[in-house]
Amino acid sequence: MKPSRRGFLRQMFLTNEAVTADQGAKTLVCVFLRGGADTLNMVIPYGDDQYFRLRPTLSIAPPSKGGSDAAIRLDDFYAFHPRLRPLYPLFEEGRLGIVQAAGSDNTTGSHFEAQDQMEHGEAMGKTIGGGWIGRHLRAMKRKESTPLSAVAIGPAVPESLRGARQVSAINSLDEIQINTPSGDPTSALLALSAMYGADAGILSQPGRMTLDLLHRVEGLRASEYKAANDAEYPADEFGSGLREIARLIKAGVGLEAACIDLGGWDTHFFQGAVDGLQAENINLLARGLAAFDADMKNHRDRVIVLVMTEFGRRIYENGSLGTDHGRGFAMMAMGSRVNGGKIHGRWPGLEEDEKEILGPGGLRITTDYRSALAEVLTRVMGNKDIDKVFPGFDPQPVGLIG
Amino acid sequence: MKGTAMKLSRRALIKASALAAGALPFTGCERIISDVTRRMGQTIPDRVSAAKGKDIDADFHLLSRAAYGPWPGDLDHLRETGQERWIEEQLRPESIDDTACDLRARRFETLHHDPGTCYEYKKPVLREEIARHTLLRAIYSRRQLFEVMVSFWTDHLNIDMEKGDCIYLKPADDRLVIRAHALGRFRDLIRASATSPAMLVYLDGKENKKAAPDDVPNENYARELLELHTLGVHGGYTQQDVCEIARCLTGWRLRTKWRKGAVYFDPSLHDDGEKTVLGHRLPSGGGESDLDRVVDIVCSHPSTARYIATKLVRRFVSDDPPAPLVERVATVFTQTEGDTKSLLRAILTSEEFKVSKGAKLKRPFHFIVSCLRSMGADTHAHAQLIEYLTRMGQGLFQYPTPDGYPDEAAPWLGAMLWRWNFAFALAAGQVPSVSVSLDRLIDAMGASDNPVELLPHFIGHRGAASEIHALEHYAASRALTDDRNRAELAGLILASPAFQRY
Repeated sequence: MKPSRRGFLRQMFLTNEAVTADQGAKTLVCVFLRGGADTLNMVIPYGDDQYFRLRPTLSIAPPSKGGSDAAIRLDDFYAFHPRLRPLYPLFEEGRLGIVQAAGSDNTTGSHFEAQDQMEHGEAMGKTIGGGWIGRHLRAMKRKESTPLSAVAIGPAVPESLRGARQVSAINSLDEIQINTPSGDPTSALLALSAMYGADAGILSQPGRMTLDLLHRVEGLRASEYKAANDAEYPADEFGSGLREIARLIKAGVGLEAACIDLGGWDTHFFQGAVDGLQAENINLLARGLAAFDADMKNHRDRVIVLVMTEFGRRIYENGSLGTDHGRGFAMMAMGSRVNGGKIHGRWPGLEEDEKEILGPGGLRITTDYRSALAEVLTRVMGNKDIDKVFPGFDPQPVGLIG
Repeated sequence: MKGTAMKLSRRALIKASALAAGALPFTGCERIISDVTRRMGQTIPDRVSAAKGKDIDADFHLLSRAAYGPWPGDLDHLRETGQERWIEEQLRPESIDDTACDLRARRFETLHHDPGTCYEYKKPVLREEIARHTLLRAIYSRRQLFEVMVSFWTDHLNIDMEKGDCIYLKPADDRLVIRAHALGRFRDLIRASATSPAMLVYLDGKENKKAAPDDVPNENYARELLELHTLGVHGGYTQQDVCEIARCLTGWRLRTKWRKGAVYFDPSLHDDGEKTVLGHRLPSGGGESDLDRVVDIVCSHPSTARYIATKLVRRFVSDDPPAPLVERVATVFTQTEGDTKSLLRAILTSEEFKVSKGAKLKRPFHFIVSCLRSMGADTHAHAQLIEYLTRMGQGLFQYPTPDGYPDEAAPWLGAMLWRWNFAFALAAGQVPSVSVSLDRLIDAMGASDNPVELLPHFIGHRGAASEIHALEHYAASRALTDDRNRAELAGLILASPAFQRY
């Protein structure tokens, strides 16, 4: 019985693939740094003296200091944190671009409000419904979506993917299988299809999507994945998550959007500078993205990676060797279509007594985050109806995409 | 179907069950506890009745919301007791004998220690003991409403054990904050939490100090106190209030050497100037009493009454809390100064509660606990069981951010596959360290002729036509004399849409 069932599932999978997998489709990978990343210590404005004055213990030495602990020069004004080194070649080769002082108009200082607003792609106090990627996927009007059209790496679906027709939350493809007591799940799957296929309210859609996913993945799992170009992903959840995304893209199953989180950026206390809490996270991010870039070498034109966070942190350090919630941050984009090797966005200066923004000391925002997202969606992802994604918003040119 | 079992002689049965017991990965001590608690009634009764109406049974509904679903026989017990008396009993947990549960759950040492002693234990021990304790209480305690509220407040005052030293401090927080005040006054809960060592570490309160004139206070706790613990994000406070509360709370520290982890107030690190919190002026020189004033102000704020009422109604009634009920519960909050028992009484006896049957989606913890309870499972909640929770996205005391695991359905819909796999593994007795007796349950239900009749026992009503039809179709296509197929059928019931709801 077993071979025929497997054969049946594989056949079904292949048939579906032939119908839906669009080899020309591009994939948007969204990396969200949860907790409010202190990007001022990542893309360092060493050309602004205020930076050193306001951060007596947390600032990174300017490139002129030399040595492995000094910042890595990007231009006359900005430098990378030394632990971002793995990303430097990408910047140099023009595949990595940065938008400085990007952000939203959210002034609550709340992680959850700011994340929700950003993931929903909204202005403060204006709800649209669904997440920005979810709305984008709907606006693309593809004939058919699959459970692997949109994937969240991790246990839960992030807000940005809300509203997508189908979303799967997984850690690894190897997890997608069902084990039933009889060893042959055919009858049980049939019963589950009947139960979830009927009107089971909010459970119908996730139930049916899960069944569909099981069928599709059966075929993919047959071969083991090996990263290209000796790419070495960090040996942790973030690294393995990126690896699974690469695997899905190469498998051509119609992946249009993938979301992955990297947490631990809420550094109120003992943030560290060259080493320490934040430096480890920075290095993890850099090694992960660099491995992904290497692994995807032959598929770069099909992928764009965005790195964002809900807000940056205060420009000055607090009394516990950390930084509190601020406003603007540096957004990163990686891919062959990116106008890389450049820092976009106007530098607003580090004004300590900024009054019009949340309390004192957040980085003033010079680029609405939605302008950057809109540029990526229209110029890379082929979205022709950006008003569906950001209704009533007038995106300004950022220059991030060439 | 279970003909083979019935044909066995009594002697052979005893032998078989002894062998089965031997196969369990329980320690000797655990086997004894299992045996003793079984004799104390923690078992499947000989006869269990189920509700087979068209609609979810009212008593089943109460047991699904105010408890983690019925243990076999609980429905019969509630019918005898009556809802009103049952609720009152549950609101006086100390009046309910819980010896059998205590036998399973009391033996974890780290749960009884102060932080200083917890520092002497290894992290994996601390991590495992509090998770096992929490699961075992939820499964076996007869004080079910109390356990439901423990889970509610644990999320409300969330602490991620993996942050800093929280792993050494959370056991005391669980005992002295959450469990001590689970059914008590809200103000006492918040006051206890504010100086709980675990909270002082988790939200950086211990770093909040003013030693030098240009020291900037750490606002982390002050913000979450307002945003998540009391007023709610739209509760009408300003960034200035956050700053001022942070100033009020400067100077609370943790001992680092002798009596490590104990809390003390250091006046020299306190900002003793005048402050204004939510329109209330706190004169200078308040010292450590600033904390009590802040707790009084935020707990008696009208936004807090509404925010807590909304969260409770969301948990017990609907993801979309009916506004009239929220208003009534908020009024009760104000009148009783946040007496949790009065709030629960108002919710559980409300019309809105009664008509909300099956409207909620079980979170993974609720799903797993209700699976184990409805199967009358025997477990000591070893790591393998806890692993399933993590897999479904609700690892205990591991939610990283201070808002706690969400109560709404939407975030949990992505993990259906793991529910199904757990359902099948449990029914087949394949979840390591959990033992089930499906055939005993089938007997008690009088469902031996048609195991499909098990369905109402698990969901409190006859079931939707599509579910009955799917199960009957399964029963017709597989030989139910085979243990594995019977288990698969029971697994399908646990995996059904109806069982995911409560």
